[in-house]
Amino acid sequence: MSKHVINVTVNGEAHAVEVPAKRLLADFLRDDLLLTGTKRGCETGTCGACSVLIDGEVVKSCLNLAVQADGRSVTTVEGLGQGTNLHPLQTSFMEQGGLQCGYCTPGFLMAAHDLLSRNPSPSEEEIREGLSGNLCRCTGYQGIVDSVKNAAEKMHGR
Amino acid sequence: MRDFDFLKPATLAEAIAMRSSLGEEACLFAGGTALLLGMRQRLVNPKTVIALGGLADLRAIAFDSQHGLRVGALARHTDLARSPELRTHTPMLAHMAARMANPQVRNQGTLGGNLCYADPATDPPTALMALRASVVLAGPDGERTLAIEDFLVDYYATALGASEILKEIRVPPPAPGSRGIYVRHLRTAAEHRPVANLALVVERKGAVCTRARLVVGAATAVPCIAAKAGEYLTGKTVTLEVAAEAGRRLAQEITPISDLRGDGAFRRAIVGVIAKRAVAEAFGLDWKGAQA
Repeated sequence: MSKHVINVTVNGEAHAVEVPAKRLLADFLRDDLLLTGTKRGCETGTCGACSVLIDGEVVKSCLNLAVQADGRSVTTVEGLGQGTNLHPLQTSFMEQGGLQCGYCTPGFLMAAHDLLSRNPSPSEEEIREGLSGNLCRCTGYQGIVDSVKNAAEKMHGR
Repeated sequence: MRDFDFLKPATLAEAIAMRSSLGEEACLFAGGTALLLGMRQRLVNPKTVIALGGLADLRAIAFDSQHGLRVGALARHTDLARSPELRTHTPMLAHMAARMANPQVRNQGTLGGNLCYADPATDPPTALMALRASVVLAGPDGERTLAIEDFLVDYYATALGASEILKEIRVPPPAPGSRGIYVRHLRTAAEHRPVANLALVVERKGAVCTRARLVVGAATAVPCIAAKAGEYLTGKTVTLEVAAEAGRRLAQEITPISDLRGDGAFRRAIVGVIAKRAVAEAFGLDWKGAQA
């Protein structure tokens, strides 16, 4: 089995780490870098709890090998805010009932971040479509949709 | 997942040489969205993975009026959905790519990877077959071009040779005034794999259909051209009743698969309905306002 030194920027910080070829990006983030905000959920590409951004675009880190992130920039939920200074999406999720148990939340935040970066004022239908790769078993989704709408308004002063 | 070696060729020629020398022990890896699942379930156990992510040349999308559309095999579904060339010249393909799977998979999965994996429960092959697409396969002895219906052989099986790599997907320029429609049927909104789909390309003079190509996919092992329904429509003034009859004929001429996600009779019924609606829509008819 081959091993590879990957050069990857995670939340703005450069890392050079040796990984076996079969290390999943989700496991690399959680077990090698100890960034446990990214959740392992179904591990079959269905639930989206492991969603992260690669070069600003949302992907599922359980469907990526760590070696695929070589030379690229990864953003996890830890990179959204800075300490207690939360990202508007995070405060909106708190204020609008966007979470209950919270397990799916990091994935939803990253998918919502990708959506709002391309479409600053999405319609409700566009929000639901943009979050269609993520599952939540608690909220029934309405709180999440409201949170994203609220964050969009905050971020773009509507 | 079993252990494997990971190779990252820098050029297409290098990738072909690796594939030729390693043979069936090696597996091509494009976006990886489908293959990684197969590997983790140990359905696919390559000793070596040849990752094509470094072949930037295979990501381009271009259009010219003589040759039509040329899509590099490593263009992602997101790239197709956002491509001005697709949105202008083959909007049906852009529309399909914007809705398949989910945003995360579209940001990673590639058109070429999708075609080579040949999972029947997917969207691009159906749309491409209706558009008369072909694929360019590059091997050690040069390139060959196959019609997409010759490339897709069976359930998870293609005509890709043991030392070949899918390089490009080509779509001929659309006939003036032609219109394409793509419809997918999901059992639930949360499911991302279609249980049946249909792509339609029609040419028309007013309400008269002058040419029609209907293709059914996901309901069958590989997409199939519904030639009888197409012949029925050709030369007809299309009304809701004609659209419904085309749907009935199409439903009878396919050989549907049965699996856990739907039995054959269900799939046959569904494709008849979505075909009726797609034909009606192509001719500006309001099927929603009419009796079923």
